[in-house]
This record gives sequence, structure tokens and C-alpha cells, in this order.
Amino acid sequence: MDLIDFFTNYTLRTITLGTAILGAICGMLGSFAVLRKQSLLGDAISHASLPGIALAFIITGVKDPNLILLGALISGLIGTFWIKGITKRTRLKSDTALGLILSLFFGLGILLLTFIQKMPNANQAGLDKYLFGQAATLVEQDVLIMASVTGVSLIVLLLFWKEFKLLLFDPDYTKTLGFNTRFLDILITFFIVLAIVLGLQTVGVILMSAMLLAPAAAARQWTNNLSTMIILASIFGALSGIFGTAISATQNNLSTGPVIVLIAASFVLISFAFSPSRGLIFREMRFRKNRKELHLKKTLTFMYRIAQNHDNISHPHAIRILNNFQGFTKKSLLKLENQELISLSGKQWALTKKGYEEAASINKKLGKSDD
Amino acid sequence: MIQKKYAIQIDDLTVAYNYKPVLWDIDLLIPEGVLMAVVGPNGAGKSTLIKAILGIIKPIAGSVKIFGKPYKKQVNKVAYVPQKGSVDWDFPTTSLDVVMMGTYGSLGWIKRPGSKEKKQALEALEKVGMLEFKNRQISQLSGGQQQRIFLARALVQNASIYLMDEPFQGVDATTEKAIINILKELRKAGKTLVVVHHDLQTVPEYFDWVTFLNVKGIASGQVKEIFNDNNLTKTYGINYKVAINK
Amino acid sequence: MTSAQLEIQIIAALVAMACAIPGTFLVLRKMAMISDAISHSILPGLVLGFFITNDLNSPFLILLAAITGVVTVVLVEFIQKTGLVKEDTAIGLVFPALFSIGVILIAKNANDVHLDIDAVLLGELAFAPFDRLEVNAIDIGPKSLWVIGTILLTTISLLLLFFKELKLSTFDKGLATTLGFSPLLLHYGLMTVSSITVVGAFDAVGAILVVALIIAPAATAYLLTDSLKKMLLISCFLGVFSAISGYWMANFLDASIAGSMTTMLGIIFLIVYLFAPKRGVFSVIYKEKHQRIEVSLLVFLLHLQNHVEIEERHVDHLQKHINWGKVKSKTILDLAQKNNLIKLSGNIVNLTEKGTEFTEEALRYITTNKETAIEDLKAKFFLFRG
Repeated sequence: MDLIDFFTNYTLRTITLGTAILGAICGMLGSFAVLRKQSLLGDAISHASLPGIALAFIITGVKDPNLILLGALISGLIGTFWIKGITKRTRLKSDTALGLILSLFFGLGILLLTFIQKMPNANQAGLDKYLFGQAATLVEQDVLIMASVTGVSLIVLLLFWKEFKLLLFDPDYTKTLGFNTRFLDILITFFIVLAIVLGLQTVGVILMSAMLLAPAAAARQWTNNLSTMIILASIFGALSGIFGTAISATQNNLSTGPVIVLIAASFVLISFAFSPSRGLIFREMRFRKNRKELHLKKTLTFMYRIAQNHDNISHPHAIRILNNFQGFTKKSLLKLENQELISLSGKQWALTKKGYEEAASINKKLGKSDD
Repeated sequence: MIQKKYAIQIDDLTVAYNYKPVLWDIDLLIPEGVLMAVVGPNGAGKSTLIKAILGIIKPIAGSVKIFGKPYKKQVNKVAYVPQKGSVDWDFPTTSLDVVMMGTYGSLGWIKRPGSKEKKQALEALEKVGMLEFKNRQISQLSGGQQQRIFLARALVQNASIYLMDEPFQGVDATTEKAIINILKELRKAGKTLVVVHHDLQTVPEYFDWVTFLNVKGIASGQVKEIFNDNNLTKTYGINYKVAINK
Repeated sequence: MTSAQLEIQIIAALVAMACAIPGTFLVLRKMAMISDAISHSILPGLVLGFFITNDLNSPFLILLAAITGVVTVVLVEFIQKTGLVKEDTAIGLVFPALFSIGVILIAKNANDVHLDIDAVLLGELAFAPFDRLEVNAIDIGPKSLWVIGTILLTTISLLLLFFKELKLSTFDKGLATTLGFSPLLLHYGLMTVSSITVVGAFDAVGAILVVALIIAPAATAYLLTDSLKKMLLISCFLGVFSAISGYWMANFLDASIAGSMTTMLGIIFLIVYLFAPKRGVFSVIYKEKHQRIEVSLLVFLLHLQNHVEIEERHVDHLQKHINWGKVKSKTILDLAQKNNLIKLSGNIVNLTEKGTEFTEEALRYITTNKETAIEDLKAKFFLFRG
């Protein structure tokens, strides 16, 4: 299959639309998870939904995607509340609780899946796709469900926007203003679980958490505004979904989940590196520039201390005497001259009036911070 | 029995964590219109007292009344300034946005802040001298500036009672002056202020009312009457002067 | 029982023990999720190693994959240090990306490589006995038995050698540093051991279930004991027990061995979580309820001692000011009366002599703030025994 097919093919359009919507809702709700410091909760929930998928099939005996989603939702919610119970009632910390639920539920799920494989009607199960996701199995009805859930969560988000924002920033304060924080908390958790469950068919149990985190983590780097962050995260999520599906559809033998995750991860990588305000590259550049300026300042104050011993501040001195001083280079001297802080002539330098005053004020500041 | 109307009336309040008492049988009457410091050593339960008044922490016994009614019915009469360290300052939002949050309580569920609320927030920012930083991301503010933002957020709540948890912690001298001036102004306007405070030396200068607390309530009253060696010793122990200067 | 069955059980038991030991320290150091990250992100290392050696049990492959595990830890810590995202987000970003690379590598080379996704997720414990190790053409047992045996022996020797250091750095990092043990060295040592164990166990139980073998026995043991030594022993025992019982369950259900082992661990954890004598949910709820009543009684007695005014000691005051409901007020009053601490004259409550003495002692306890003192106090006055 090549790329031209991709845009003309009806099935593929449906699938692409589905993954785009999924990416958007994950980016949106993932932003909440990231800001609430519950990044790994998504990982636990998605793994915890596996036994629900298997049990739904064992109990009903048919492979109805809606029933399977329901099973996943119930088992995901049980996992979530058990995690809360473990951290609240026992001495185990949240990381242990997450790891426990994640691995134990997943183990049970695997047991049930392998059990199903031996059942007489196993052929129609095809539950394997829930492990790594197979976007190709999305049909129009799935996309409709995704779209309506996204619509509902968007409405809820807009309706309670103010309350959610407050809760994310300062839960105690939210309580003192008279808002029911427990209600808000359950509402947010419910939608996060719902988004995860929706993504299982496309991205799979194992990698679903990345779908939640990566777009939000990337978006956070570009903005300091919550609504912009959520919009950006939705866009990043949708793009990861679209490109991921496109790439995996044009290749044989490739599950959608890993491809989508890698695309989302490259968004993160690019954002970490190139974001203008927080990115590592610009941060390093700023750091170097500051260090250079510090060097110039040091050189200048060194000169100032020499010049102080003379009546005429602009008395020329040999460059040679700076040799004892570590910070100076030809380049830094030229830079100082460019800034009209010193004047150079041959092998001599002299402070200008401007340079002297500048150095005096730096010296004063340095003296202060030394105290 | 005719009772004088108190801003906050605390009866037999006890908060315990397991068997460890944090607050024990506190009876406290806070008259309307005082600027009160709550002092006591570390672990005396000062923050817990504030949180128990606000209903953030559930007490094991006792009751708190705000102007004679439970807190839940008086939410809009009380403003809260939490400790600066209690929130994540890397949260993606601006100073103005945080101050606007103070209006959310009176707005109630779902209703959005409009131009009226924005005006209130800008006024509060101006009052605390932070107007020029209104669009600044909150992580880029200094400790003192963050504290001013929290104060401004409480100001827009337009409450009758202000509960503040260490508003002077980690702020520069200018900010401290600015904050105390605002607090004094609020008291002049008839508001009641309860401030958890660390620096005993400034108590007589800043406050007119004081409560000594060390798990149990030790004394509460006018600064000029009860701020003395006797109560300080009862609260901080015999070596209280050493303890303070540390 | 055939010899293959026996061998599978021995391998499973050894894997469980090898996982339980580093697991104990990871749980205590609040780093349980790191094992999740390692177990996923070693996959690309494993696949690359497999391309080169074509043998899942080759020492070179194990080394390469273990290095990937340590690199993951370093990468996570690097991202955390940049401060660009909150701490656990760093973990959540790194391992899915690396795992995805591994999965894609396998899928793209599916025709050339005999390594399939199921093996990655579930392990191939059932096939372990068929891959034999031969020395001089003499069969000396399954390869994976030797691999995991070596790893376990190394882990145990390291544990015995550095037990003191590990214990100290786990419970008191500051002290460990001042005593000259490098917490950093121990940290990366533990990470290396964990990585190697994960790689060794991977073959048997797969990527995700190895996490269960690491975390669950240790977490369960932590609900049963306070001593590190006992915790290590209990978690090893639980690991071995679930390995063997899991094997027979899988045999019975004709399902995945690794899945059954994990499910056994889950059942054990659930039982302990609910019924552990001191730290189980039921005993915690029971204890909390009792504690609330006991503390309430103390509050009440102190209140009586504090106030001489009649109206403060009226029975109604309990409900009105102390703000207790009717039932609670009655419980407390009854308890105090039963213990002979108060006397009722009409509706006014008075402390008895014993009550006064008790209250004074309790007050002393409150001011000194010693948590154990209350137990002595309770014993001394034969309180709260119904």
C-alpha cells in the first residue's frame, strides 16, 4: 500500500480520523495527569484494564468491542481505586502501589488470554491486538464512540474549566473556596480512565501511557499558559496519531502502538531541545553567554584594580601585565574595546571613563555579595 | 447568657494524628477587627489550627464557628493565604491568573470570571505592587513576589476574615514592610486577620492581638497585656530567648 | 512429575528469588517503578544482542541488555535533572520510547529473527528445558538454569558482602554518606544488579511479569514485617511459593506459566493486604476506629480536668461543643464509666480519683510527646479492655 492509497481509501480515512481524535483526547486529558503528578497512573490503569478485556470475552463469549471496552473500563477503575486504597491504608508508597497493580493485573490478564486461546471459540477472539494496538481494526462505529466521548469530555472540561484549573494548582485552596474537591477529583480520574480505555484498541495496553504523557510533556515546553498547553498537547497527540497510523499502515507487520509512541517521543525530544524559553539548547546558549559576560566583567574589574593605583584612570598599561590573570584573551579585549570600555593601542590598554565607571559599579556589587 | 459576637469561635478543638496530638482541647475566641499573630515553636500546630478552621483538616473533636455559623456556610467570608511552598510554582499560569482565582469562590460553580473580576484582580495586584508583573509566569517570580501574589489572591476574595500561614516566610525586607502595611490597612477597614508568625521580635510592632500555642492553647489576648516573659516561657520553654535567636 | 517439569519449577523458583532480593531494596527505596522502566527498556538491547549472538542465554546479550537498563536509569535521571518535566513523567517518557524501538526492531526483522512478541511479553518458561547446556558433549542441564543460577549466586554474594552498607543507605542516606559509604555507588550497583536480574528473568517470565516478581513479594513482605532480614526471607519464600504453585495452576488451566505465577502473587498480596495482622486493611480500620475512641476519651477527660464550670461538664456539652454525635458521645461516656474514670451526678460529669490520676499522666505524655508512652499508660490503668 502506498501513500496515495492512504488518502483516497475510505477505510484508511476512517482509521486516521480515529487515531487523530484519540491523540487529541489523550493530549487533552494527559495534560491533567502530568500536571497532577500522576504521570505513571496512566501506565497502571492501562495495564489494569487487560483482565477486564479478557473477562468480558469469557463471560459473554462474543467479541463485541463495546462490551470489551466496558470490561476494560471497569477493571481499569478497580485498579485505580485499589491503588488509592493501598497508598491510603497501608505503608506502601505510591510507586509500589502502581507497580503492584500494573504487573499483577497484567499477569492475571495474560493468564486469562492464554486460557482463552485454548477455548473452542478462541479464533474469533483476536484479543492480542489489545496488547500493542491495531488501528487497522478500527471501524466507523469505533470512531463514532471516540468522537462522542471526546465531545463529552470537552464539554465537561469547558464547563468546569475554572474549577479544574484551581484544583490542579492548589487543591487545599479549592476546598476553602467551598468547591467539592472529591467530586472534581473523581470526575477527572474517570475521564482519564475513559481516554485510556478508548486508546487500547489503537495503541494497546502496554504503550497507552506514553500516549497520555508525551504530547502533554512536549506541549508544556512551548507555553506558560494552561489553555495553550492543552490545545498544543491535543494537536501533538493528533499529529502523532495521524503520522503513526500512516507509517504503520504503509508497512507490513507493524503494530500501530509503537509507531505512534515513537512519533510522540520525537515531539518530546524536539521540544526538550528547541523550545525557546525552556529548551536545553537555548538554555545552554544563555548559560555560555552569561559565563562570557562574567569573564569580561572579571577582566574589567582586574583592570580597574590596576587603574585605581594611578591618578589618571586612562593611564595606559602593557597588555603583558594581564598575563597573570586567567580570564583574558585577545578576543575578550577586543570585545571590551567594542563596548568602548577600554581603548587599545599597540601593546597597551587603558580604561575609558565609561569603563572605569562600569568597573566601579561591578566592584561595588561584588563587594556587597561577598558580605 | 449574652455573648459578644466573635469573628471566630473555637470550642474544645482537638486534632490528633494517630495518638500524637497536634492540637489539644483548644478554646479560642477571636474578636472581630483584630490583627492577630499565632506564635509557638515548630510543631506547635499553628498551620494545623488554620487548616482546621478552614475545614481542610477534620478535627477529632470540637467545633469552629465563623460569625456564629459553621465554616461551610461562611465560605465567602473567609480568605486564605497558604504557605508559599504548598503549591507547584512551575504550574503554567500567570500572576494575574492566580490572583483571579480568588474570585472563583464568590462566582460559584461553572460561572466564569468576567471583566468585573479582572478589574478586581488588577486592583489587588496594584495594591501589592505587582501590577507590572501581571503577565509574568509564576515560576519567574522571586519568593517575595510569589508571596505578594498569594496575598493579592486573598484580597480579591473580599472577605471579612483573613487567615495567613507564614506570609513573611522567605520574603525580603521590602516585601515584609509592604505586606504588613496592607494587613494594617485591612484591620483599619474592620477586617479580622489571623497570621501564623515566626519572628517574635516583630510581634509588638506588627500585631495588636496574639495567641500563644503549643499543642494546647496557652494564652490569647491583647499584645500589650499578655506578650510577656511568662507566656513566652510557657510556650517556648525556659530557654525561649535562645530558641528565638536561633 | 517429569524431569522437564521439575526443571521448569526449579528455574521459576530461582528466577523468583533472584527478583525478590533487589525488589526488596527497590520497594524500600521507593523506586519500584524503576524496575518497570528497566524491564521495558532493555528490549532494544536484548534485540540487538540477539541479532549478534542469536542466543537468548548468551552472556554477551545479557551484558548488552543490562547496559541498556542502566542507561535507562541514567537517562531518566538526566531528564529529571533538567527540570523540564516532573519526576515521574521522566520515567513514563523514557521506557515506552525504548520499548517501542525494541518492538519495531523485532517486527521489522521478524523473518530473520526467531524472537517473537509473545516471548517478550510472556517468556518461554515451558521451553526452557529444551535448550540444554553441553560441556564436552555431556548434558549438564538447561541453559537458563545456569544463567539464572549464576545471577542468583552473584546477587546473594553481593547481598552478603554489602548488607550493612545497603541497609544503612536505604534507611539513612545522610548517615551512610557521613560514614563514607558512597550512596551513588550503591545506587548504581543496585541498578546494575536489577538490570542483570531483569534480563536473566526476561527469558523465563517476560517483560512485564518480571516487574510483578520484583515488586509483589517485597511489597507483600513489607506488610508483614519490619525487619529487613525477615523481609528478604519472606519475599524470597513468597516468590518461590508462587512460582511453584503458579506452575501447577498453569498446568491445570493449560495457560501461561508466567501469568499464573503472577496471579498467585496477586492472590497472596490480596490476602495479606486485607488480613495482615498489623498492617492489613481490616486491622488498620479496626485499629483506627479504636484509636479514635481512645483519643476521644482522652480529649474528654482532659476537657473535664481543664474546666471547673458546671456548664462545660454537662452531658449535653459533649454534643453541642465537642461536636460529637449522639452515638459517639454515648460510647465515650460508657467507656469512661466502665473504666471507673468518671462519675455522673445527674447530668454533670465528674472525674473520679482514678480519672484524675490518669488524666494527669496523660497530660504528661502529651507535653513530652512520646508516642510509646500511651501504651504504658493504657496498660497501667487496664484501660480499653472492654
